[in-house]
Amino acid sequence: MSNAELPVDFEAEAKPDLAQHAVLLIAVCLIALVGNTVATDATVMQGLVGLAILYVIAILGLVLTHIVPVGLPSVAWISLVGIVVTLPWTPGSAWLLEKVSHVNFLTLATPCLAYAGIAIARREIEIARSSGWKLFIVAVLVMTGTYVGSAIVADLFL
Amino acid sequence: MDRTKDILFDWRLHLSVLVITIIAEAIGVIAVPIGIGSILLLPLLYAFVMGLVLNPNVVRKAGAWMGQREVRAASPLIVIAIMPFIAKFGTIIGPSMEKIIAAGPALILQELGNLGTILLAFPVAVLLLGMGREAIGASFSVAREPNIAIIADKYGLKSPEGAGVMGVYVIGTLFGTFIFAILASLLATSGLFSIEALAMACGIGSGSMMAACSGALSHAVPEMKDQILALAGASNVLTYATGLYLCIFVALPVTEKLYDLLGRKEPATNIAGE
Repeated sequence: MSNAELPVDFEAEAKPDLAQHAVLLIAVCLIALVGNTVATDATVMQGLVGLAILYVIAILGLVLTHIVPVGLPSVAWISLVGIVVTLPWTPGSAWLLEKVSHVNFLTLATPCLAYAGIAIARREIEIARSSGWKLFIVAVLVMTGTYVGSAIVADLFL
Repeated sequence: MDRTKDILFDWRLHLSVLVITIIAEAIGVIAVPIGIGSILLLPLLYAFVMGLVLNPNVVRKAGAWMGQREVRAASPLIVIAIMPFIAKFGTIIGPSMEKIIAAGPALILQELGNLGTILLAFPVAVLLLGMGREAIGASFSVAREPNIAIIADKYGLKSPEGAGVMGVYVIGTLFGTFIFAILASLLATSGLFSIEALAMACGIGSGSMMAACSGALSHAVPEMKDQILALAGASNVLTYATGLYLCIFVALPVTEKLYDLLGRKEPATNIAGE
């Protein structure tokens, strides 16, 4: 699902295993902690506790991806774990929510988009360049049409 | 496997992302008022642009700092970097479960709205821009990974349909976050739609499109932030669950039929050649 902007690249790509994931996630969380400290009024300690909880949720999701072979992507498991631990009837969910509330949600997406900008490969730029302005117009209309279409239908049934 | 490790622990890459994050967050959100609404410039957008500027494929001079090694290493990190974000997203959906269940029917039916692309983009592609069969691949869906898989399966990626879907995919990857953030902030401030409906519509694309879209929306209407994020997240999960079937059984056959009606009859040419 949301393995978002991963370019469809059939060439061999570095695939981290669970242990490497665990280490890289720490690196990513540290970057996010710095970002969170810059972006919000939360103290480093508050951010650290919040991110540590999110880290554990992510690791639980990754472990589930490995041990439950139903082909669900890791991001789906992670969001599922995040949902289950914060359901109103889950014990301790209020405490968890209070801790996590010190982490700004949009700040967490900032490092991801920085990686995405760096990851654009030569081939993708070439496709964009050679197919040119026509595809650009169509792409803008595709996104606008899909977005407005969904909003209209949702508006009708709300 | 040492090479894998080597690539993933590339310090130049992570240091660059750290510096980009600090700069982006230090700038913060900027609202640019235009006509019917305002465009919100978000730190994640600056981060993407700064990433592009450091990308040696985009700015040749950046090659002095980073090479293809870093570009390749960055790709698997996109998914890892989105994980804390997704975890946080889960913690926003959980407490709002009751509201999501209440919005259930609208959430499921708004998937049908994805067909809006066929109404808007397909006629323009075929009638105004004179595109051939690549218009089918380009405009039948929002062109994320599952949609590419459908086209690859049915026509192959080297076909005109394949070129169409890949082109929109690439442009969506490059500019999708911008386009969604702009659409969301414009429509939120225009008052044409309810905020709940706009939030649900944020879930139609990839994870980062949803992030940009729901982020822009919750900045425009901060008092509804939690609800916006919850509905966008739930809609995104549903898109992946049901969107594929909608594309296979409705969107693609309808686009094919429309092409028979409107499209040119001679053999298609590849857009790359035009």
